[in-house]
Parts: sequence; C-alpha cells; structure tokens
Amino acid sequence: MNIFILDSWLREHLQTKATPKQIGEYLSLCSQSVEKVTKIEDDWLYEIEITTNRPDCLSVYGLARELAVILPRFGLPAKLKSLEISQPVKTPDKKNLPLEVKIKDASLCPRFTAVIFDKVVIKPSPKIIQERLEKSGIRALNNVVDISNYLMLELGQPMHTFDYDKIKGAKMILRESAGGEKITTLDDQIRPLPDGTIIIEDGEGRIIDLCGIMGGKNSEVDEKTKKVLLFVQTYDPVRIRQACQKLAFRTEAASRFEKGVDPEGVLIAMGKAMEMFEKNCEAEIASQLIDIYPNPPQEKKVKLDINLVNKIMGIEISKKEIVNILESLGFVLETNQSSLMTVTVPHWRYDDISIPEDLIEEIARIYGYHRLPTNLPPMAVVSQNKIDFPKWEAKIKTALKFWGFTETVNYSMVSESILKNVEIKPEECLRIANPLSDEWVFLRPSLVPSLLQVASLNKKENLKIFELANVYLFQSENQLPEENLMLTGLVSGESFAKVKGVVESLLEELGIKEIEIKPYQLQKTFYGKIFHPSRRAEIIFKNNSLGIFGQLKKEKIFVFDLDFTQIVKDTNEIKKYQAIPKYPPIIEDLSFVIPEKTYVGEIMKAIKTTSLIIQRVELIDSFEDSRTFRVTYQDTKKTLTDEEVEKIRKSIIDNLKNKLRLKLKGKGEN
Amino acid sequence: MDTNRLQNLKNQAISNILETKNEQELEELRIEYLGRHGQITRLLKEIPSLSPEQKKDKGNLINETKKIIEETIISQKNNFHQKNNREEWFDITIPGEKPAKGHLHLITAAIEEITDIFKKIGFYRVAYPEVEWDWYAFEGLNMPKNHPARDEWETFFIENLNHPKYGEAVLTTHTSSGQLREMQRLGKPPIRMLDIAKCYRRQIDASHAPMFYQFEGLVVDQGINITHLKGTLDFFVKQYFGPQREVRIRPFHFQFTEPSFEVDVSCIVCGGRGCKVCKQGWMELGGAGMVHPTVLKNGGFDPNKYTGFAFGWGVERVLMMKYKIDDIRLLFNGDLRFLEQF
Repeated sequence: MNIFILDSWLREHLQTKATPKQIGEYLSLCSQSVEKVTKIEDDWLYEIEITTNRPDCLSVYGLARELAVILPRFGLPAKLKSLEISQPVKTPDKKNLPLEVKIKDASLCPRFTAVIFDKVVIKPSPKIIQERLEKSGIRALNNVVDISNYLMLELGQPMHTFDYDKIKGAKMILRESAGGEKITTLDDQIRPLPDGTIIIEDGEGRIIDLCGIMGGKNSEVDEKTKKVLLFVQTYDPVRIRQACQKLAFRTEAASRFEKGVDPEGVLIAMGKAMEMFEKNCEAEIASQLIDIYPNPPQEKKVKLDINLVNKIMGIEISKKEIVNILESLGFVLETNQSSLMTVTVPHWRYDDISIPEDLIEEIARIYGYHRLPTNLPPMAVVSQNKIDFPKWEAKIKTALKFWGFTETVNYSMVSESILKNVEIKPEECLRIANPLSDEWVFLRPSLVPSLLQVASLNKKENLKIFELANVYLFQSENQLPEENLMLTGLVSGESFAKVKGVVESLLEELGIKEIEIKPYQLQKTFYGKIFHPSRRAEIIFKNNSLGIFGQLKKEKIFVFDLDFTQIVKDTNEIKKYQAIPKYPPIIEDLSFVIPEKTYVGEIMKAIKTTSLIIQRVELIDSFEDSRTFRVTYQDTKKTLTDEEVEKIRKSIIDNLKNKLRLKLKGKGEN
Repeated sequence: MDTNRLQNLKNQAISNILETKNEQELEELRIEYLGRHGQITRLLKEIPSLSPEQKKDKGNLINETKKIIEETIISQKNNFHQKNNREEWFDITIPGEKPAKGHLHLITAAIEEITDIFKKIGFYRVAYPEVEWDWYAFEGLNMPKNHPARDEWETFFIENLNHPKYGEAVLTTHTSSGQLREMQRLGKPPIRMLDIAKCYRRQIDASHAPMFYQFEGLVVDQGINITHLKGTLDFFVKQYFGPQREVRIRPFHFQFTEPSFEVDVSCIVCGGRGCKVCKQGWMELGGAGMVHPTVLKNGGFDPNKYTGFAFGWGVERVLMMKYKIDDIRLLFNGDLRFLEQF
C-alpha cells in the first residue's frame, strides 16, 4: 500500500536537519521504500510503499518514529517529538448525552471507544489542515470529516463520525450481519451484506455502519448536524478483509483495519481528536469517554540468541550493538552474561514480531544491509534428475533455429473458439474458474491451435514456426493434471518430404534412429479430425508413439506434434565408433518400375535387408512409376569382387520382384 | 637418335613451349611431344630395343627430357592461370547465400543466459508444476488461508480439482512453490536450485501478462547467510547486466522469507543518476530473502540445523530491462515482425 507523506508534517514530529533526499534514500535502505520525492510548492511529498507487515508505518508519526532510529545511523541527528495529549477524560455530568453500546462478540471489536460532542459548528477546516489533506491526496470536506481523515494520516488510526441525533434510541448494537441484510453507504451505494460482516444497528434495528469500511448514509454528518458521535476503534482484521473481498470494495480505512491497527494507539488518537473538535468545531464534550477494551493483549516476549544473529547475518556483530539497535526501535531487553536475551515487543509492532528471525531482520536492516559483505555460497554436489530436460530443450530449439524455424511462446490459456476450430472439445479441457477474459479460459491440451492462430495472424508464405511447451491433461479430481512437454511445428510452402526430413533430423540429433513411420488410422481423435486422412503419419520408436506429422485437412499446412517428454526418455547420447572401412565400396544405381500404391519405404527396407554387405540405400530419382536407388556395397573384411556383388544384386532384384512385384529397368551406371 | 639431336629436341621444345600464347597452343605442343604418338613418347617406346649400355645412357636422357618438358608445360600453364586470374573481373559484392536461419524467442535466449550464469556458481536447473495445489503455492509458504499477503498475487483457480490434504488447484503465481517441491525431492541438503517456469497472475497491462516466467533460486545448507545471498545477486547482476551495474538490497516483506529483501539494480538507462524510468536511480529487480523457518519445516528440513536463501524474479522483467522493451504483451502475441528481430 502506497501512502503520501508531507515533509513539513513529518518534521512536526521529527526534529532533524536531514534533507528530503537523504530522508528518501535512508528510509528506503533501512525501512520502507520511498518511490518518489516530489517538490510541491515550498514543501516536499514522499510517496512511500508500506509493506503489509508494517501497518505501524502507515502514518506520519509512524514514519517519524522509524526515521528517528535510522537517520542517526547515517550521522544525521534526529529526534522524535513526543505526542502531547491532553487527558481526554471529562468528568461525568448530569447533562451527559447517553449512548448504550452492546458488542455481541468481543472478537469483532477488540477496542471500542466513543465520545459525543454537542454544539458542533460545521464549517471548513483551518487552512493548514485543508492544505495538508489536499497535498496528501485526500479531499477536504468540512471540519468534522477532516478531523478523522487528518488523524488517520497522522497517527494511522481510522475513525468515524455519526450524527448523534440520527442514531435512534441512542443505542448501538455491534454484530455480524446475517441473512442477506443491506446498507446504503455514504457514497449512496446500496450494498448487500455478506454474512459475517461487522455492522452496527441502532435502537430501531436500522443498520447505520459498515464497520471499519464505510459509514451508513442514514447516520451521516451533514451541514445541519449539531451533535457528533466520534468513534475510534479497532476491528478483527480477518473479518474486515473478508467483507472487503466479498463486497469487492475497499476504503483507505479498511486497508488499515485489515492489516491490523494497534489498540494501544486508540486513546492517543481519541485525545487528539477531542482537542481538535474543541478547537476546530467549537464543540463541547457532551459525554463520558466510552472505552470497551475487555482483553488487552498480553506482553509479548521473544527469546533471542546472539549466535543466531551472527549466523544469519554472516558477520560478527557485538552484543552492545544489538542491544542499541533493538532499544532504539522500542524493544525492551532483559540480558545477562549469556548469549541469550529476552526481548519484549513494543505494542506498535505486536503482530509483526514473533520469532527470533523477525528480530534479526530488525537488527540487520538498521545495521544496514548495504554494510554487509558479499560472498558466494560454497559449491556443493546436488543430486541430479535422471533426465536433463533443459539440456535437450536448448539443443532442439537451437537445431530448429538453424534449420530456419522461428520460436513462438503462446499463452497456456486458450479460448473456447480456437479449441472448437480444431475440433477439441472444451468440456474435456481444464477450465479456469475465474478467467480474465474469454480469450483465456481453458488450459490447452495441445499446442496445435496456438500455432494455427499465429499462422493466421501473420499471413505469411513459407512459414516455419515452432513452440516447445507444456500441455495440460486432466487425470482425476484429486490429482494434478499431467503436464506434458510437446514440441510442435508448423510449416507452410514446403513438401511432405521436407517436413518429414525435419522430424527425422530432429530425432537423429537426439540419437533416436530406426524409427518406424506408420499411417495414422484413428478417425475420431483430434488428430484424425484435423489431419489429411492419408497425408499423415505416426512416428513409432520401440513400440511407443513419439508423435505425428503430416498435412492438415483444410489447408496446405504441415504440422508436426511430438511428445517431447517421451522423446527425451529415448535419447541416446552414446555414439558408437566404427573402424573406417579399409576396403573400397562398390556403388551402383538400380532403377525399377513399381506398381501403383507401393510404399517406397518398404522397397528400401527390402533392399537394405537383403544382405549385410549393403551399407546404404538412397532414393535418388523418382519419375512417374520409376524409382532409382543408389546402393552401396561394402565389406569390412575384403575388397568385393564383381561376382560377389552380382550375386547380391540378383537377390535384390528377385526379392523385389517376388515380394513387391517390381521390375528392373535395366542396370544404371555408377 | 643421338644425344645431340636429343639435346636439340629438348631445347626446341622448351623454347616452343615458352612461346605459346594460350592454353590451346600449349595443349597442341603437349600432344606433339608427349601425346600417344608424340616425339618423346615414340623415343620412350624405342628404349626396350636398345642395347643394355645405350639403355642406361640414352634411356636416362630421354626420361630426363620428358621430365623437363612436362615441368615446363606445367609452369607455362600456371603462368597462363595467373595471368587469367589477374585479368578476370569478379563481383565480390553479390549477396551471400545464407543457410536457413530462424529465431529463438527472446525468453528462451534469456533463460539460457540466466541458466548459464547460475550454472557457473553451482546451481542446478529444475522445473515444477504450473498447475499447483494451494499448499505448495501458498499455505506451505507460510501464507494461511485469508492471509492478506495473498492479495499480492492475483490468482487463477482451476475448476473441479481438489486435494484432501493440499487444497484447491491454482495456476501457480510464482516459482516459490518450487521451493517446497525441491526440498521434498532432495530430502536433505545441499540445495542449489534454479527453478525456471511459467507462472500466472490475473492481471494485464504493459508490464504484466497473465502468463510469464520466473526464475527462482534456492540455496539451503549449513551456514548459509545473508552475505551469500548478496554475493549471488551481485554475481548475477554483473554477469547479466554488465560489470558496471550496482546492486542493493532493501527491507521488504514476504511471508516465506525472514528477513525479506527487495533487490534493486542501478538504473540501466541513467546509470543511477535518476530518470523517468527509475526510482531515484534504482530499478526494482525482484524479491529475495532468507528462507522462513516455517517453510524449511514444511519442506521437511530442520530449521535449527539449516538455513537458506531464496530469490524469485521475472524473466521478462530482466530481459525487458536489458533490451528496453516497453510492452510485455509483445512477447506473447506471436507477431513475427517482432520475433524475427532476435
């Protein structure tokens, strides 16, 4: 939460010669982050981000208290001025105005204070108050409302004012709402109340306050108000927070209450407010101070071992310095000769400090993180995973890059319409309960729709793109989905063979050879629906499917969709050394006439398996029904003779003739 | 043929060869002397019919003559080539025919760079689920249900998934969920984790996308302290952003670290003097801290024995700082005009 603090206001509580720039820098280094220091007229405004654990810093006074500790560490003397509070208690009087208060559950409101003023004159606030509020980003309204805003900024204690005459029966019941009640708040909004919201009803059962968040319209202070009921309390932070979340509505006061307001600070704020009412509103105090505080918090003590301080900070820091720092921050210490000390937490830090590490943070930040040396952690051997995914990912991405592919990174969440485009059923996908927009609702079970979207977006010929990312597959209600890494590519303006070549080379890079390419037969799957029925193939390795590639049904676009998780399991980094052959190969080309619908792969396989002497078979020419293959014969043990080759050649030809009904076209030249 | 004539033949041949003006003339001479029916070839064929004595003398002479003629032809040929090469005009400014080249995504490049930097100081890269149980993403990180600290993370929830022990399923809002996963994977120190993975938050503007990457470091061991965190951050920042960059850590608050820090780098635009882009000369890099004892305990580690530090930063944030990219959405919208720049 960011707050705005005026330099002149800060200096009303802090005596120092530090410049605004120094204040900004040193506060950032040791406490809260000063985002900006801006000059306004003859003043300076600090914009400060206050972390959720430090509600005590959400005020001018709270920051002055921090700075009084920090600035002297940088050689800049600074002194916190004490808050002068007149004793707020007025003696009882018969003319006192009554107020009956009932709190249904003490946990709702740890401390309840209230006082009534009479003869209030509503008018604008003194100029200095108006100016300070406006410069801090809050609109000045009138003297009564301004007092509560002013003290919220100055002391961090939100407060609320009612028109006393509008509270029926001079009675208040503070309770949790139930059964769908409603309130019209000061901003004229009718708000249905979630059950469990802290509210106040008056003697006639009207809801007059949405506690800690915003007052009710029906008890608002207006220009005719004469009697004002001032309210200074603390509320249960959890209930305030839940109400804000359910109402989707938050005010400055609520942001403070949900982080926790110090109940020990309530009377200080009340005292200041009474002073201001008398001074700014010509008001008379017309009631006793009501203070309902049934369970003041117990003193909180934390044990601290100096050795632990040194262990975490990584330096030797003296006991004297530790004591100095903690005492300057308001901690009370009990020490003896041992390394242990008992530390009592000041009331304004009550919720934040509970364990020794919390105290170490206090010591280290005031000592100065910037003063600590830098060291690298010692090297250590960490137990490794079986498969080094990042290595393979990097390798494959780099290969694809140098083969002309551009990598895309697309959202894991997709829309209903892009799923339907590729005939994926949205109801089978994981769904986000609170999507940000229609565009991002389902977790994609495939990368294909995303790549198709990129393709249609770019309207480019000769596209080569890919993505390597997880897809998400539902398993069961009490299991996390399967997150499977897929490698998916999309190619336009190329041939089937070129795309197949990419897939083959990819697998070869990973040491996967001897794959089987099979027609993909299933019709009803998502693949079956989007791929061209005959121009698609499945890649099989050791009986596992590694994925699919082929042409799409609708357009001349090729896609490969590979199961990277499976592929990486099959990688083989071991390369086998084979002695370089001593004897020369004999290479010859054989041309055949082939019958229709003969798979060339089967022909090549048949040739290759004819003899161990055949080292290689390549397809070098295809024309109409003729195919020319280049065959390499080589024996590792001797020079092949023409007779030996002729024998093998004959069995190739016979084999192809008998099995596949191929006819030799006449022997080619080598 | 006597030696004199042979000598003459040799001289004649040499002078003829040297007088040739082009390769064709030279080829004609080669055929005249060394061709299948050339003068020297004919002489060589006669050698077997000579007497043993003549064989030795004349034979040597003939062979020597052949050798000299051959050498002269070669040297003359080289002369022609050199001359030709000198006179030939060639356009070296024609565009080169480049091999196919695509582009890695900026995020991939950044991830590889980050991985390499941390690898040098012994970090081991892992990745953990993106769809994660509440316990790993929040509760186990010391953020009980309804804790206001959860507000910092705008969380996406997944329908119809619920674990009896670990709660509902979310899209993880940070890689810090990987801290508990890595502690559970290893069961004991040392931990030197670098977890890089996709994270999700329910927000979108120029600096926030609903999906983004984080890199999370976690070091747990005996005797790990704040100076180790500072040293690691310093090493990374100087390697990634350049040696002139300064780092500082400031107090901050996270539920899962104590003490907690915010890490700043001296502004890469103004160098630290202060400008529009930065805050008083510093740019926020991300969060860090000493692992909270409760988190160590939740991960199965004894907080009295071991300490650790952790940090988690946005990959896009650091690369956008480095490349001065002003809108994170450019990284994910698939526009090749952008992707092909890198």
